[in-house]
Amino acid sequence: MLELREATVSYGKVTALHRLSLFVGQGQVVTIIGANGAGKSTTLRAISGLARLTSGEIRFQDARIDNLAADVIVSRGISHVPEGRRVFPDMTVRENLMTGAFRRRFGPEVDADLEQTLVRFPRLAERSQQLARTLSGGEQQMLAIGRALMARPALLLLDEPSMGLAPVIIDEIGSIIRSINQTGVPVVLVEQNAELALSLADYAYVLERGRLCLEGEAASLRDNELVRTAYLGV
Amino acid sequence: MLELLLQTGLNALYAAAYLSLVAVGLVLIFGVMGIINFAHGELFMLGAYVVVALYSGLQMPFVLVAAIGLVFVGCVGILMELSMFRQLRGNPLGGLVASIGFLMVLQALVAMGFGVRMEHVPPFTQDVIILSERVRLPVQRLIVIIVAVMLLVALWLFLKRTKFGWALRASAQDKEAAALQGISLRTTSLIAMFIGGALAGIAGSLTAPLISVTPTMGHSVIVAAFIVIIVGGIGSLEGAVLAAFIYAFVHTGVTTFLDGVIADIVGLALMLAVLVIRPTGFFGSADRA
Repeated sequence: MLELREATVSYGKVTALHRLSLFVGQGQVVTIIGANGAGKSTTLRAISGLARLTSGEIRFQDARIDNLAADVIVSRGISHVPEGRRVFPDMTVRENLMTGAFRRRFGPEVDADLEQTLVRFPRLAERSQQLARTLSGGEQQMLAIGRALMARPALLLLDEPSMGLAPVIIDEIGSIIRSINQTGVPVVLVEQNAELALSLADYAYVLERGRLCLEGEAASLRDNELVRTAYLGV
Repeated sequence: MLELLLQTGLNALYAAAYLSLVAVGLVLIFGVMGIINFAHGELFMLGAYVVVALYSGLQMPFVLVAAIGLVFVGCVGILMELSMFRQLRGNPLGGLVASIGFLMVLQALVAMGFGVRMEHVPPFTQDVIILSERVRLPVQRLIVIIVAVMLLVALWLFLKRTKFGWALRASAQDKEAAALQGISLRTTSLIAMFIGGALAGIAGSLTAPLISVTPTMGHSVIVAAFIVIIVGGIGSLEGAVLAAFIYAFVHTGVTTFLDGVIADIVGLALMLAVLVIRPTGFFGSADRA
């Protein structure tokens, strides 16, 4: 349903992403792992329209999207949870969630989705009138994911959801991602935590300095010698 | 003495009311677009000249003229967005320079149309509420206060309770994250420019009979508005309203008891003091500035 063909992104003379081809199928969890600066975030930013391709193309549901503005791509069904959560600090939890549904017509359906999101994330329900800036890192991550789900996406992009979180919370985020995928939403997961990423994903791409260096079934990559030494640390 | 204080308080309340309208628009535009709109004082001036043309000139009813002032200057705000700021997106300094150019164009157009002179705008009502021998509140001033309060409450409700209000606040807090929710900066900028222009316009229209109307009248208003948004904390609407009150009370008080020039100096000193003691202003935070 999502396909990158030889996607290249350059910032000035620096090539952040070099001819990456990537495919996400219906209902899959696909992960992109790699070190800092490997081009993982750039890949997601290119898909959601925050970064422009210098060459190549991106197709989503059989249509090219690489020339669309970020706010239009949201309407096409792609929701991006950016690195660092980026919740709106001076808006309440409830207001943050509602902005996620901005492209939809407000009414009973959106209200029902809000209720459902608060049921799914009970910690957000308790804090629904609190400003987002007062939440813990894990709660902000849940809020960012909940906000993205309010758009009813056909594809979810997650950038480093485990960053800076305690192991217990990382497990919780992991099971949230799994449960979202079980509702049929494909997920592209970018992670430095390769262990978490490979345990969740069906298929994985390994990037190094903007280039694809390895790809394959997540299960087989877990046993790959290079991945084990470079990213899993075993 | 008590009566003089009361009278000064009423005068300050009136000044705070129209200053709040101007400053809040300036803050909104800066928050959403990152542009310091130097032409904001001229939008206030345009509101006053709508009254000169339609009320003093064509003798249309004042209520209608004030409503036209609101809508017309709001549309000038939209024109500024479409013709200049949209082209200069991502270049805040360019936006600032363009707004300075635009203020000169507006001043020149008004000067060509009406002449460089002080306009006489007849009062729309002569009624005065007499609270005591020496404490009087002209109904014209009372109306400025009431309308300002109503519009500020309406703006607050819009920002806190409506979809597009949330979109505006989201854009102001994090443009990129807002885009990822499908919020287009083109839409929120248009709304911010309309509201900012409309509030400055109605402030100018309502105060036209009470102040001296000239093509360069925007200067003193923009200076006061800048002091207000710096004291209040750039980016904070609540801070702007609070600071408008503080500034108006200080400025009006010093004008009454000493004189106007000293009041201007004290106003600027107030801004300097706030910048030294609390550089982010009363309500500002470092990460938002």
